[in-house]
Amino acid sequence: MILAIAVGLLGLLALSIPVGIVLFLLAFGVDQFFSFFPLIRGLGNLVWSTSNNATLIAIPFFVLVGEVLVRSGVATRTYAALDRWVSWLPGGLVHANVATATMFSATSGSSVATAATVATVAMPQAEKLGYDPRLFSGAIAAGGTLGIMIPPSINLIVYGFLTQTSIPQLFLAGLVPGIALALGFMAITAMICIFRPSLGGNRRSFPLPEMLRALLQLVPIMLLFTIIIGTIYQGWATPTEAAAVGVAGAILIAALFGGVSVGMFAESILGTVKITSMIMLVVIGASFLNFTLASAGLGSELQALLDGMGLSPMGLIFVVVLIYIVLGFFIETLSLMVVTIPIIVPLVVAQGFDPIWFGILMIVLIEMALITPPVGLNLYVVQGARKSGNMGEVMVGAIPYVIAMLIMVALLIAFPSIALYLPSVLSGS
Amino acid sequence: MEDRLLGTLRRLNRGVALLTGVVLMACALFVLADIVLRQMGSSFGGTDEISGYVMAIATSWGMAFTLLELGHVRIDLLRGRAGNLGRALFDLFAMLALTGTVTLIAYKCWPVVERSLANSSRANTPLETPLALVQIPWFAGWIWFALIAWLTFIAAALLVFKGRFEDAEAAIGCFGEDQGASS
Repeated sequence: MILAIAVGLLGLLALSIPVGIVLFLLAFGVDQFFSFFPLIRGLGNLVWSTSNNATLIAIPFFVLVGEVLVRSGVATRTYAALDRWVSWLPGGLVHANVATATMFSATSGSSVATAATVATVAMPQAEKLGYDPRLFSGAIAAGGTLGIMIPPSINLIVYGFLTQTSIPQLFLAGLVPGIALALGFMAITAMICIFRPSLGGNRRSFPLPEMLRALLQLVPIMLLFTIIIGTIYQGWATPTEAAAVGVAGAILIAALFGGVSVGMFAESILGTVKITSMIMLVVIGASFLNFTLASAGLGSELQALLDGMGLSPMGLIFVVVLIYIVLGFFIETLSLMVVTIPIIVPLVVAQGFDPIWFGILMIVLIEMALITPPVGLNLYVVQGARKSGNMGEVMVGAIPYVIAMLIMVALLIAFPSIALYLPSVLSGS
Repeated sequence: MEDRLLGTLRRLNRGVALLTGVVLMACALFVLADIVLRQMGSSFGGTDEISGYVMAIATSWGMAFTLLELGHVRIDLLRGRAGNLGRALFDLFAMLALTGTVTLIAYKCWPVVERSLANSSRANTPLETPLALVQIPWFAGWIWFALIAWLTFIAAALLVFKGRFEDAEAAIGCFGEDQGASS
């Protein structure tokens, strides 16, 4: 059954059938060939119970937060403000690229929109100030991936939903590795620019009053992030409620600091509905596939396969990491996550690994998929926003950041407490 | 004819999506109001339940809009290497797979509504919501998705038969204007 599913999955995906539909088709196949009971009778109920869910409504709320902030021009202003603060570092504006992408994808779910925005604003500066286009665009693509790790993260919500893991705990677990990765990106940028100053463009410093004025632009975003995360851990609000607070906060910030208009709201709403339905079709498909696989006895078959291979638990993790790196060349974030969760997570958890820790490990691997060619969504987004040059430049520029991610993967495996320390300390409250 | 059909479908679904988004925003406001009330020692009660219903209904009604905006993610690996006709055939095949699957889903959703109607089921919650009341709009959303999918498939097939590959790709191709995938 495992082989049939793997072949079916890759075959149907290669036919470029929508990923959500592929999951349903696979589930129909499992039902037809591997199950004693007609599981399709449960389809209607499963579609209802998956989408009738107060936790998942956090998804459209967080997407809306990002849409409003990006479309109202707040992201652009933040970029300018961060420029004042980080441009004295070796690598200058490149740090602003990473930092803006990090901050926005942190407050929202929409890292692609963030990457697109930063790329549009930043690219003209890069030429003017003499930056290396490869490093410069690679940093935007890489920074944009951090949003799926730093809470609130839509991918972590989906992971928590499909694996029955606590979403607040996942958010806590993602915080340290997410920030560490952002700092790692900046460190690697600085190192590259110290050894090869020609890549880094002109370093600039700004007078203190200007820096302080810029700080004012950053306060609302920081505040919004603190409120969203704070209300969850103070026990005042569930992730869904915190997301609703985020929506109100984003609209307020947009009204005070950005440009609010009816057209901008309409576009934000349309963007939200589009992204939400895309995610939900995949999530509902994955739920149904999960259900059919469990009913058809996938668990015992996987266990038998594993025993047959004689892998140690560490060996298993090693194989899983390899699988993600290879699949990541071809399949994108959410799809990659959702198609692998039903098979890989039960396997890993059965070997005694913590599902929260594995969720974070998986997220780093999936972030990598966003910037590894030939299929790396963020590479395309950044290239799309550039007016010149070719795709190859962005790919080369992303390599240092892929290395940073690989180091993070190794660290997470060697020291699981990087992810698990915060949840273990704070979960008592 | 197929151009007018596609245009109408897009306009209709843009309207539906706007309405869906407004309902989602209203729901966010409702949740927000409840948090504030709770800090003052009171509550509407049942925000979780209502958010769930809103999510189910918003999800099903947004699907068709996402379809027309080319928002449902596909893996563009072999397809991207094919020529004009090859790409059109990939797209038509994918569209047919989607349309068939969605039709089956919609069909299988009916028994859920039927049972709630027959038993006059109510949610096992303090609100005791009559389930049919929220399941009928949810079910209607899936029917809408299936209907729009069929019409889009037919329009796109006509475009392909007439050799208008570029227009067909704009209707059922792989990427929309902004590739607004998640995360």
